[in-house]
Amino acid sequence: MTRPDVSTAEPASPPAGFSVHEFARTARGSHRAELDLDAYATRPLEAGALEMVALLERLERGALSYLRSVLVTPTHKDARVTGFLVTWAYEKFWVADALELIVAAHPDFVPATADAPKLRAARHALAERLEPIRESVVANLIGDDVVAVHCAAGAIDEWITATAYERLAEFTDHPVFAATMTRLRDVKRRHDTYFTDEARRRLAASPAAGRLARRRLRRASWPLGAVDEPPPLVARLLGGLVIASDLVDLDARVDALPGLAGLDLVTTAAQGARKAAAR
Amino acid sequence: MAFDIDQYTETSEGVTWEDLDFGAFDTTPLGEYTLRTVRYMCNVEYHTVCYLRDLLVTPSHKERDVNAFMTMWNREEYWHGEALAAVLGRHGITVDYDELKAARVKLEWRDKLAPLRQSIMGNLVGDDFVAVHMAWGAANEWSATAAYRRLATLEQHPALSPLLKRIGQQETRHTAFYATQARKRLEKSALARKLTRLALAKAWRPVGSSISDEEDLDHVMKHLFNGADGLAEIRRIDTNIAKLPGMEGLTIFETALRRHEMDWPAA
Repeated sequence: MTRPDVSTAEPASPPAGFSVHEFARTARGSHRAELDLDAYATRPLEAGALEMVALLERLERGALSYLRSVLVTPTHKDARVTGFLVTWAYEKFWVADALELIVAAHPDFVPATADAPKLRAARHALAERLEPIRESVVANLIGDDVVAVHCAAGAIDEWITATAYERLAEFTDHPVFAATMTRLRDVKRRHDTYFTDEARRRLAASPAAGRLARRRLRRASWPLGAVDEPPPLVARLLGGLVIASDLVDLDARVDALPGLAGLDLVTTAAQGARKAAAR
Repeated sequence: MAFDIDQYTETSEGVTWEDLDFGAFDTTPLGEYTLRTVRYMCNVEYHTVCYLRDLLVTPSHKERDVNAFMTMWNREEYWHGEALAAVLGRHGITVDYDELKAARVKLEWRDKLAPLRQSIMGNLVGDDFVAVHMAWGAANEWSATAAYRRLATLEQHPALSPLLKRIGQQETRHTAFYATQARKRLEKSALARKLTRLALAKAWRPVGSSISDEEDLDHVMKHLFNGADGLAEIRRIDTNIAKLPGMEGLTIFETALRRHEMDWPAA
């Protein structure tokens, strides 16, 4: 095959370790048969833990919203990335499904809804509508560097939520629930590997991508989708469930990405959520 | 026709071909004429994610059923691409990610405007625009099903035809989703009916026409739909569209194909 004229800032070689084809072939679908939901009838989870499970479920459902932001940018042209995202969205769908069923296995539990004040809700709805329009203009001007930003965002989001799963398993001391958390954590491990490898490779290849990522990642809400959630819940996720030393570790991992040192994204997000919750 | 989204998601899977005798391609290889059509189909399937993008910029993605369907649909189409790439690979034709990327890059300008236009349009008219997308999706899936069915019949190949049948069966479920959604939304709104009729009548083009050379498109349409049987198939799927609320009398497929100077019997 003759190599076509592709203008791109990225290095030609894909990450050696991760095969998107293999990932797609071995995708993990429904977990329903493995959830042992009856166990929660005799030994339910506490309301505080369920609140976190419900929050994580909504965040996992954000896959299509992420895709929406990503696909209007030049990232959609990269067939390897989109090939990954197709399977990633599928796996996240079933992770969210498992979490939803665990919550549903507790019929007495009523989750806190995102009852934001009306004005704020309207502003969100407007922003949500304008975002793909703005993004399709801005990101197309920026070009390929935006792919690095999307991969870094995907990686950081995975790190935060994965830590939340691990802490939830630990704090609840519930063997059946812990088994499910381990299971879901396994599914997410490959997402982490892919996003982290891609982000590292792309950021290392382009200093401009690093500068863009610094600007954009600072503006994002962490974990992704947290902007639509009640601040008290986000504050409990980042600072109750994910403990203070985790926040430091997570920021250290962000620091280790090429060009992203000193952002303090996760610590800042936790502080922001705490302040918003106090208002 | 009702559509059970839970049943669909739980039974959604990537199409399989490992059990088919691909050795048949060594003894009875596909001709170049056919490979060109398979290649076109393969590209279209891999590019589904680009159509997904167009759908996601409208408000529909927030709806639970739509969200679930889009996730599964997108993955099934990706696997159709993989399956057809395996067929091509057996004939020494490599379809890889770099090449797919090159094709997407080539579309640069035409493509850049599409999501912008659609997010503005989609958000201005909101829910009614979702009806357009659903009817459009139904049209695409009906034509894809017809294309696979025709190729399977034309080839009668021991490995290709059963594979195409499997792909076609999945496309039929996609059609059911889109048609159910379209019908529900069209019944509710006169504006949706008006917009949809306008869009289908004025703008519908065969699936893949925006990502392919004109000559390839022409080749595929003639290969699959020339002759009396081809015309009959096209009229059959036009009838499906015409049954949607407000779409009576539309003949979008026949109209689109007549541009290709088809070898069809005179009416």
